[in-house]
Amino acid sequence: MANKLLKPLMSLRFTLLLLSLLGVMFLLGLWIPQRSMVPEALYSQWKLHHPALVGVFEALGFVSIYTSWIMLGLWAFFFINLSLVMWQRLPLIKKRIALPEARLFDPSASPGYPFHASFRLPEEITGATLLSSLRARGYAIVGGENGFYGVKNRLSPIAFGLFHLSFFLILLGGLMSVYTKFAGVLELAQGEVFQGDVASYVPTPQLPKIGTPPKATFTVASIAPQMTNGTPTGLKVQLVDGHGATHEADVNRPYKVDSSSFLVTNVGPAPLFVVRDRSGREIDGAYMKLHVMGGKEDVFSLAGFHFRAHFYPDYFLKDGLPATRSREFKNPAFSISAERDGKTVAQGVVPPKGALAFADYQLVLKDLPYWVSFSVFKEHGVPIIFAGFAVASLAVVWRFLLYRREIVGAVREENGERHLVVAGRSEFYKSLAEDEFTILFTKLSAKSGRANT
Amino acid sequence: MSNWETLFFWMTLVIYSLASGGYIYSFVFKNPRFMSKVTVLISAGFIAHTIAISARYLAQGHLPWAGDYESAMMGGWFIIAGTLYVGWRNKPLQALATATTPLVVIMMGFGVMRNPVLTPMAASLKNYWLYIHVYFAWLAFGGYALAMAAGVLYLLKRKSELRGVVNPSYERFPSLDRLDELIFRYVVFGFITDTIMICAGAIWAKDLWGSYWSWDPVETWSLVSWIIYGIAIHLRVTFGWRNSRFAWIAVLALSTVIISFFGVTFVIDTSLHTFQVR
Repeated sequence: MANKLLKPLMSLRFTLLLLSLLGVMFLLGLWIPQRSMVPEALYSQWKLHHPALVGVFEALGFVSIYTSWIMLGLWAFFFINLSLVMWQRLPLIKKRIALPEARLFDPSASPGYPFHASFRLPEEITGATLLSSLRARGYAIVGGENGFYGVKNRLSPIAFGLFHLSFFLILLGGLMSVYTKFAGVLELAQGEVFQGDVASYVPTPQLPKIGTPPKATFTVASIAPQMTNGTPTGLKVQLVDGHGATHEADVNRPYKVDSSSFLVTNVGPAPLFVVRDRSGREIDGAYMKLHVMGGKEDVFSLAGFHFRAHFYPDYFLKDGLPATRSREFKNPAFSISAERDGKTVAQGVVPPKGALAFADYQLVLKDLPYWVSFSVFKEHGVPIIFAGFAVASLAVVWRFLLYRREIVGAVREENGERHLVVAGRSEFYKSLAEDEFTILFTKLSAKSGRANT
Repeated sequence: MSNWETLFFWMTLVIYSLASGGYIYSFVFKNPRFMSKVTVLISAGFIAHTIAISARYLAQGHLPWAGDYESAMMGGWFIIAGTLYVGWRNKPLQALATATTPLVVIMMGFGVMRNPVLTPMAASLKNYWLYIHVYFAWLAFGGYALAMAAGVLYLLKRKSELRGVVNPSYERFPSLDRLDELIFRYVVFGFITDTIMICAGAIWAKDLWGSYWSWDPVETWSLVSWIIYGIAIHLRVTFGWRNSRFAWIAVLALSTVIISFFGVTFVIDTSLHTFQVR
């Protein structure tokens, strides 16, 4: 009974079916809007217009298809199938890599070897020289000149096992990552200190099921966004850790500490605005991390006033209105609208050290540093996943480039001449292997020619 | 595009187009002598292609890495380089250009209509893993394109043999058995480089996006095409699929690679692989 159940699970046809189904699911994920990938408002609109369709998709889990129960089920079957197929194949691999016992091998009685040829050997080439030449070309040889068997890349079938083992490494690493993953976003301005507290993350981070949030303490010493012809070419962030050591992070070069990565992802202005009264006394002020890049509007409040801010990194007046020439921070300025009780009381452009007068006050832009956002990740499975990638890459190279070639040969005497009679076969290729064997044995029996095939 | 790049890009495109026409002429008018001349023409086009890439490199300070135009330019270069290399090693394989050259013409034509603007190296692209990821992607594309070309030659030659039509142009192709094995060899080459490409991309993505896999549309498509080629290899090695069936797989499966490279970012602009300046 158990065998009957296991048999289809062990079959390679089932593997191909599972792979095809997984492929179909992946493609469905591209076609069906995924909840995590579309804005909530857009998703709600879609649901409103197609309630029945979205209902079916939601019931099947197709709106989060990559973690749906169908997908997880397919993956479960895939790994069960892979385990069983590997279990079944292991004895075969063991058998294939074993060298046959020494006996008198006969090339003319070697079924399954499509290449057959005979080469006349010059006198100076003895059987021993021939065999040592084959060994020098990577062939493991059993037997002697009267009948030998040779195999090149004998261990290549092991790569089959390694390649499929890499899937398990990736699975193991993936599972570890799922359970130990911490993900959060930090927004820190120049000079700001991070002490590892979870409350600093915006919004609330994803906490790990097992493990702790990143234990890191550092101060953002400097932020230097770099733009070339409108293209962001760098975002250098200098950090000083709790021990006073300086670290540099950039896009693509995260700060790594405590199995965590602090990825530099975004930048914005963090101006120090102060409100002064008529006498010039500062009555309120603060550094603001404004989300105003790309023409967005942000708001802040000081001294009981509300301010709407737009940012122009390379400010100029276009048709009397503020605009930016580029996204480079060449001539930064804010367009500020001051409001009280919902009414606009003043409006104007404020460059660094500049001011906007309103009522009996002044809003002064005292300083213009930047804030930077970090995507913070901590997970423990990644090295195992990368080990899986390395094993997969090496195994696939080993299996398909260093494939097996087998030969059976013997040195025979005919009409007073010595001949090397050989039969050969190769994995994957027949015609191409024939060329290879012909070249090989022609070289080995140099000064002689191929007598017959 | 810089002036030199524009000049040599269009020169390349014209030469490759003429070469494609030359192959069609050879087949339609059964004139195989023309084929060797076309190979010379493609070599000239390849030199112009290399100069166009060099001009772009000099103008923007880095090799073409991203965007449809640069993918088409470099992907096309790898495909033609692979075609010339195998044709140089094995003369009958010069005929592979019959299928690869028109493919490159279409790719480059599509690419130049997209975004040929010179841009400095964006911060998101400054990573050593990018070089490995992208170069192996192009190698994979080249391998799969050669498999497709060998598949097309196989199917054409087989059809001609079945009909009993004598076309001396087909005689210049390798034998059907050899073509069948070459298709598999190129598929395997593509699969190896594709595997390395996906792994390198995942490692790079960890530092850039914080996650080694994001189910981004381009990632998903490349995984689908990897699975398809994986299935093809299993069908060949375990189930013995050969000849026409395998040739058709090699021809059709290339569409998934083309979609990964160009199709996804053509339809979707939210892919992380778009690398638009943000």
